[in-house]
Amino acid sequence: MKCEDAQELITGLVDNELLDWERSSIESHLKECRRCQWSYEQERALKKAIQVVGTSVNVSTELRGTILSDHHGLPGTGDASRTRRRWSWPIANVPRPAIALVLLLIVALPTYYLTRPTKLDIPAIVLETHEKIRRGDIVIARAGSEEEVKKYLSNSVGGSFSPMTYDLAKVNMKAIGGILEETSGRKILVTVYEGNSIFVTCYTLLGTEKDAPADATVLVDSVAKMNFYTFSQGTLNAVFHREGNLICILVSELPTLDLLAAVRMGARKS
Amino acid sequence: MADEQHDPAKERERFSRDAMAHLDRLYTLAYHLAKRPEDAQDILQETYARALAAYKQFTPGTSMKAWLTRILYNFFYDHYAYKKRRLFFEDNLSFENEGAAQWEKTGNNNPGPEEHFLKSELQTQITEALKQLPEKFRVPILLVDMGDLSYAEAAEILCCPVGTIRSRLSRSRRLLYKQLKDYVIDESKGDREK
Repeated sequence: MKCEDAQELITGLVDNELLDWERSSIESHLKECRRCQWSYEQERALKKAIQVVGTSVNVSTELRGTILSDHHGLPGTGDASRTRRRWSWPIANVPRPAIALVLLLIVALPTYYLTRPTKLDIPAIVLETHEKIRRGDIVIARAGSEEEVKKYLSNSVGGSFSPMTYDLAKVNMKAIGGILEETSGRKILVTVYEGNSIFVTCYTLLGTEKDAPADATVLVDSVAKMNFYTFSQGTLNAVFHREGNLICILVSELPTLDLLAAVRMGARKS
Repeated sequence: MADEQHDPAKERERFSRDAMAHLDRLYTLAYHLAKRPEDAQDILQETYARALAAYKQFTPGTSMKAWLTRILYNFFYDHYAYKKRRLFFEDNLSFENEGAAQWEKTGNNNPGPEEHFLKSELQTQITEALKQLPEKFRVPILLVDMGDLSYAEAAEILCCPVGTIRSRLSRSRRLLYKQLKDYVIDESKGDREK
């Protein structure tokens, strides 16, 4: 074994993450190579030092008390001055009078609302749909290729628009199926990607950037002259963007940056 | 026993109790990810709030530490990492290799070996060296060494192959070692003497 090939195996040995044959191989090499033996000892010492640093930071009693009280719904046992910054969902930021006004208008002008696209609670819809599809509560139409999925979904809306598709082959994912969802009179094409133990859903609907969640993080791509809106809940991340009269949202447990990269590639391609 | 398992209030209580056991480790991660104590506190509070709100999504029998770490990392990524990344974003995400190269150019500011360095000094040096490490190399170190996660758990959180975790760890430890060698050599000598 060459010393440069041994480097990563040394790391695996330090972390006790090697397969049996890898372990035998590197241990034999270490017996013969003093330089790599030294390298192994250095790395082991470094890991130990980092672990020591890792155990040296403790949560203050005050913060522990605040988190405990948050969890138990009790008044803070810590200093009340320490409060959690709000990272709320868009709907939580809508003032109650505004909600009341919307409800009043819906009651007063039903015809108006029946004939116009309704503002959707995008985060709630896409995240809930993602979970339902993942659990199998929503059964998708399976297809053999991305083209078939695209054709099926386009046909389901009479060809009025087509789903956005993304090149996720780099992460060994492919489109496996899709489904048409209809919410508040608006049609949403859902494309499902799967592979490598990762699950991604893509939502395409007619709309504008006004549909973007008000509380989303906005990223401006000055090169492509596009805005990307990111939001998340629990372990799920989502990226929203507009292309022409189409709204596209990608949802997955993938890191947001990876989703952004996929969306931006797709946006450039189309 | 069966009743307790299906009583939502008790389930939630048990989840909360189990989750609190990971508080210190998660705070350490948040602290080293965000680099500012006040941000770490916010990240930790938000992580626990989100975890409790979504506790039914947690699969009993799997690693709660890894699950909580994933929530923490996702939140950090969305609300803190982008503040720095926006510049890169507009530069076609070209930070992949630049970061490491830039970091490697950074000089070694260690004052030199000392016979008996204080533990606190080592902590300061490691904390500072970690701060300078590009995120793609820093995060695997934080997850595996400080977060005590396996390669597979770290790979799941970062959505990358296990092999990538190993290669990044290998690279990042070499980068760190350049900064810390005087300290770590003494520490390892101390180990061997014991």
